Amino acid sequence: MATSLVRQTKLLSIVTSQLSSAACFRNIHCTAACLKNRAARIRVAKGDKPVTYEQAYHPHHIGHRKGWLSQHTSNLQGEDGAAERVVEDVFIRRFMYGTFHGCLADEIVIKRRGNLLVICAVMIQKLLPSKFYFLIGYTEELLSHFYKCPVKIEMQTVEEKVVYKYL
Amino acid sequence: MAACVWSVRSVRVLSEIIHGHVLPAAAAVRHQAGTSRSLHGARAPAVSARHLKQLGVTSLRSLSQVSLSEEPDALYQKLSVRVKGHDRSVLDSFEFFASLAARELGLSLERAFEPRKHTEKLTLLKSVHIFKKHRVQYETRTHHRTIEISRVTGSSARVYLEYIQRNLPEGVAMEVTKTSVEEIPEHIQKPLWDEGKLEPCGQ
Repeated sequence: MATSLVRQTKLLSIVTSQLSSAACFRNIHCTAACLKNRAARIRVAKGDKPVTYEQAYHPHHIGHRKGWLSQHTSNLQGEDGAAERVVEDVFIRRFMYGTFHGCLADEIVIKRRGNLLVICAVMIQKLLPSKFYFLIGYTEELLSHFYKCPVKIEMQTVEEKVVYKYL
Repeated sequence: MAACVWSVRSVRVLSEIIHGHVLPAAAAVRHQAGTSRSLHGARAPAVSARHLKQLGVTSLRSLSQVSLSEEPDALYQKLSVRVKGHDRSVLDSFEFFASLAARELGLSLERAFEPRKHTEKLTLLKSVHIFKKHRVQYETRTHHRTIEISRVTGSSARVYLEYIQRNLPEGVAMEVTKTSVEEIPEHIQKPLWDEGKLEPCGQ
């Protein structure tokens, strides 16, 4: 969350510098705004909407009741490369969502160990196993060519989406 | 079936060669008494070059992993391994693993302690438009753990660090500091006033 905000502040600062250099002196507020009350939350409704464990707990529960979806070292003190990792993560999530359309049971977990990129996913048994194998090989091959690093997919299949509660 | 029998035999022959290379006396003794082996019987450990080529071995020297060199090994007074992570429990288990590895390898573990965590806070506006008085705060916590190992040789340190680094969990960063004793450089070994190089000032 904070890393995407940092990226937004970087973009905003670039825009402000361009604007101020072009001799127009309008002010833009430079802090990224985020609605903490509504971010990554599914609001309580009638009681018929199924919700997974990941969706049920709010972002302030990360570290206490939830784990991290993307594990890398660039957000630690004294480490850099956070913005690049965020962009890679966003691309990988969209790629997986599109490649395995309708098969994802829950959010993808992305782990980085040295040069290796591990994508852990839980899928619904919607396709034949041979089709899953083909898509896994295709994803691994394409992503390793894009990012110039070994990419591994660890997949687990489930009969249907695991519901934690109904909101 | 024949192929795998052949491969088993070739692996057995390979092991004979390695043992023959490192411990010639023991190998000779073993071959005298080694008639119980069904595949070899009283076969001598010498293997033809054609057989070696089939196994893909170019030289016997490349088989053994131990290398000897003339220069002395580097000595380190202290090897300090500092790991950083977002999750304290992950660092706990890594500390247990690293201290166990050090104990098993026979390295003297001096101490394993936890430096103070570092928190980076960010205060942002809560709303997209106006409401300046209402802000939101985020923080990023970095936990640390340091393991200090004292009086270790260069090759032991390299082996230990390689093992530790290969098993580093994701989301954990490591910093290694090695402390060693160096010789004082020649030009400051003796004070200048002893050699009479200094000229008296004033006077």
